[in-house]
Amino acid sequence: MHAGIIFFLVIIGSILFHIFTPWYWTDIASNWKGMDDTITLTFWVGGGVFVAVCLFMIYCVFKFSYKEDRKAEYKPEDKKLERILTWATTLGVAALLAPGLIVWNQYVNVPKNAIEIDVMAWQWGWQYRLPGEDGKLGTTQVINISDNNPFGINLNDPYGKDDVLIQSDAINLKNNKPVKILLRSVDVLHNWYVPQFRAKMDAVPGVVTYYWFEPNKTGEYEVLCAEYCGVGHYAMRGSVLVQNDEEYNAWLGEQETFSDLIAKQKNFNIGDTKLAQK
Amino acid sequence: MADPKIEGYQFKPGFKGMASDTGSDQTMFKGVHWGKAMMWIFLLSDTFVFSCFLISYMKGRGSTLIDWPNPSEVFGLHVFGVDVPLLLIAIMTFVLITSSGTMALAVKYGYEKNRKMCGWLILATAIGGLTFVGMQAFEWSKLIHEGVRPWENPFGAPQFGSFFFMITGFHGTHVSIGVIFLFIYAYKVFAGHYDNKKRGWFTSMKGDYVEIEILGLYWHFVDLVWVFIFAFFYLW
Amino acid sequence: MSEEQDNNKVVYQAQSSETMGGSASPSPDMDYVRPAEIPEQDLYHGHSFITKWVFCQDAKVIGVQYFLTAVFTGIVGLILSWLMRLQLGFPEAAGFMTAEHYYQFVTMHGMIMVVYFLTALFLGGFGNYLIPLMVGARDMVFPYVNMISFWMFFIAVAVLMASFFVPGGPTGAGWTLYPPQTILEGTPGSGMGILLMLISLSLFVIGFTMGGLNYLITVLQARTRGMTLMRMPLTVWGIFTATVLAMLAFPALLVSAIMMTLDKILGTSFFMPTIIQAGEVLEYGGGSPILFQHLFWFFGHPEVYIVALPAFGIVSDLISVHSRKNIFGYRMMVWAIVGIGALSFFVWAHHMYVSGMNPWFGFFFATTTLIIAVPTAMKVYNWILTLWRGNIRLNTVMLWCLGFIVTFVNGGITGIFLGNVSVDVPLSDTYFVIAHFHMVMGIAPLMVIMGAVYHWFPLVSGKMLDEGLGKWHFWITFLGAYSIYFPMHYLGFIGVPRRYFEMYDSPYMASATGMNEFISMAAFIVGAAQFILIYNIIKTLKTGKKAGQNPWKANSLEWYTSTVPPEHGNFGERLPVVHRWPYDFSVPGAKEDFIPQTTPPSEVVHTKVEKT
Repeated sequence: MHAGIIFFLVIIGSILFHIFTPWYWTDIASNWKGMDDTITLTFWVGGGVFVAVCLFMIYCVFKFSYKEDRKAEYKPEDKKLERILTWATTLGVAALLAPGLIVWNQYVNVPKNAIEIDVMAWQWGWQYRLPGEDGKLGTTQVINISDNNPFGINLNDPYGKDDVLIQSDAINLKNNKPVKILLRSVDVLHNWYVPQFRAKMDAVPGVVTYYWFEPNKTGEYEVLCAEYCGVGHYAMRGSVLVQNDEEYNAWLGEQETFSDLIAKQKNFNIGDTKLAQK
Repeated sequence: MADPKIEGYQFKPGFKGMASDTGSDQTMFKGVHWGKAMMWIFLLSDTFVFSCFLISYMKGRGSTLIDWPNPSEVFGLHVFGVDVPLLLIAIMTFVLITSSGTMALAVKYGYEKNRKMCGWLILATAIGGLTFVGMQAFEWSKLIHEGVRPWENPFGAPQFGSFFFMITGFHGTHVSIGVIFLFIYAYKVFAGHYDNKKRGWFTSMKGDYVEIEILGLYWHFVDLVWVFIFAFFYLW
Repeated sequence: MSEEQDNNKVVYQAQSSETMGGSASPSPDMDYVRPAEIPEQDLYHGHSFITKWVFCQDAKVIGVQYFLTAVFTGIVGLILSWLMRLQLGFPEAAGFMTAEHYYQFVTMHGMIMVVYFLTALFLGGFGNYLIPLMVGARDMVFPYVNMISFWMFFIAVAVLMASFFVPGGPTGAGWTLYPPQTILEGTPGSGMGILLMLISLSLFVIGFTMGGLNYLITVLQARTRGMTLMRMPLTVWGIFTATVLAMLAFPALLVSAIMMTLDKILGTSFFMPTIIQAGEVLEYGGGSPILFQHLFWFFGHPEVYIVALPAFGIVSDLISVHSRKNIFGYRMMVWAIVGIGALSFFVWAHHMYVSGMNPWFGFFFATTTLIIAVPTAMKVYNWILTLWRGNIRLNTVMLWCLGFIVTFVNGGITGIFLGNVSVDVPLSDTYFVIAHFHMVMGIAPLMVIMGAVYHWFPLVSGKMLDEGLGKWHFWITFLGAYSIYFPMHYLGFIGVPRRYFEMYDSPYMASATGMNEFISMAAFIVGAAQFILIYNIIKTLKTGKKAGQNPWKANSLEWYTSTVPPEHGNFGERLPVVHRWPYDFSVPGAKEDFIPQTTPPSEVVHTKVEKT
């Protein structure tokens, strides 16, 4: 008997833990409320099933525990019941899948007006590049990367010259303006993840991956690396500052462009660098 | 273990009959020797191994930035002053497929208990396999001589060398293992181990001519895989 | 050979004449079972100590060997998890541990538990021991190959353990071994460690293939008379289907291990793009890291079911026996196992939603993944419906089964979160994932293993394990494990990423310090509680009470061997003849509450047997 009671307390405890937990989502700061809503929906449907199944089990333990003089029911199959359960489950699962796919459809379709941001990752740090006045990012190649050209921008690409380079792990974003994060890595897998924005995607060396979100709450957030990338993984942090338009524009104006960088380096010569020789 | 018997088992007609035959007691595949069933399942598993290799190859070849080398030039042979594309491969393929034929005949003579014919045909198969491995070694050394390495390739994408050596090497290992077993089996046939049901060295199982068919299945599979490798590497 | 076959016929006649005497309305036709198709198996009986206990060809001994070796690796994995929890809960007490150590422990813990512990234990251990007994065979069909299979596994374990002692230590690449970092500097153990890991995995696959062929052919081609596919215990169905999955999934692991080995030692670039590390351009270029992930998860997802399906099968049998009731919806259970197995090959990329693969794949893989939830849910319903109106013995075995249901449903539901592509985005790579898969494929199968140990120990040793100790063992393990993994989901909600050596410098992660300490304490206790079982086993072997034949009053063939524990050859002179499914419990009209599979219909003519 006490077994049933303990199992019952476990279920009650789980529910109470969920109600009173001090550990829950960080406040959302992006447009991905849909993800939170889908989680909540899944939580209530799934949690309900969990509690129902466990309570049924506990009831059976109380009601049908062993008695010498009683015989169990003999019933190999009940086609009707099985059919009902199958269809009910299928419907329930479909009801959970549908909103998930709808949100995913938004996730893979980037809005046209999104600002592209090149996020470059390495062991173990981040740096960022924004398009200049032409609104386009220059193409890059890992092989071009050198002390003089930290982003590996192709020198013959006219779009690259005015790109804004932020050689720091901190970046500023404009509030209520969608951004398309273009991720690349020069060595191993990384993942640019801000819990408050909910979204994430791996940076894979050799290709450019992307995702998008729209920050909708000003403030400073911490960037974490969410894909294991070696011993420095846990320390690979960065920061994001979401700002209003004026503040953001002021910040953007202070940043250096690629042509500034070239001009600064008097003896700029890509062929001279140690890296390019290899 | 001797041959299983299926006398007295009446297969039932139709789709339902097929289902009930499949689910019937004792065996699913009526009259199929354990070893043969084992070899079929092993080959299914091995098919997945080669499929993974070939799919990786397709992905690697499809996504490479540097051009893939032209197979008819890379694999061409310069004989009597003329460049003949794919000459060596044609001979290799011919030899291997012929050895499949001799293997099939060996199985037939084995079941007829024709020890001599069976033994010679297995030996012929083994020699065919050995020739194939030899020619493959020649091709490898030719490519290596020309500067192709697993990590680099003067004719184009370095992945060409990687995949070529890995996949043909893996297949060549299969052929070599087959050749070793063919020689062992040829010896066992000539020594009459299958006629007098002599127990094996390791397994202490009684000898039976069905073992030759099992080895034959493996050999045909290795040939079949070669056809795919041939198509993917040399004709694509 | 032919004499033995005739013997079988004699046996059959003898049996039916016995039954004719005993039953009310004798009708020999109703007991008819087709004569044997296959002659008696030719067994090699060992005589010396070495051929009997070391290089033994008896599947039961091989099963025990597999079991003990797997348990040894499991204890190593357990100790590694303690070290990890020490670092996460009490970093100041774990001053000796560097990030390198931590990541090496994470990696080895994962690989050991998934492959060398759970897979080997379920398929190698329970598979070898139970399949021949349950289908009524004398032994596995290729005993010699079976023996080699174990020793290959043994060598694989030895190679794996050797990697702890090489310069640089074992690999610290995470158990998924994602390139490029796996073989680059900056990852611990990127020299010898990863090579030994890849070699060990390849050996494991080769050894497992040998064993797997045995399990499959024994089930397909060596069942006893009357043992149709739909009369097999669900344990056999589970292990059989899992073995099919393993035969088709392990090739992908083997291929990716070979390719990665070549990347490492020959400098090929299968998985390696152009890389700059520490300011130097490496010699690699042009490979695809995502290709590895596809190959790995094509193995990795079926692997989940390779662990889960035997657990499903075993727990079905345990629940049925101990609630004295037939398993509800047997055919549904069989088709669910087969269906889950087949579907598991079409869902692998749900591990890769945020891996940078083409995001459009997300739609397909989310749909297939959630489809799998349906047969899985059906299995859960059938387990609890088996309890309904049963006559439930609340012994240790049943407690483990109930614990399994709670943890499995919990972990299954969180699987719906992670399988549903956009819900996965915020949760993937966080502690939510850790909590999910430990609950569903760590704790839940472990509950089944423990239940199975308490259930079949009387068969293996002939003695009953102590119930009192067993109950303590269960409650500490269940409550402890649940309180480790249930709160851990909430760490994931906060957004704590997995594989973090330290998490205290972020404010919202620091808020979870208390929880981490609690989880670590629980982990230490749960781990220590497992030694209760070891103590129980030693005590029982010394002073335990004799079990006798069939202590649980079960129906399946393993309890009807000629001796307890069964000898080599299992069933003595005559192989059993099967007349019914193994779940005829509490049949109306029957004298006892169980009818063994070997009971011919003429002996129980007054009963209302619905399914045979």
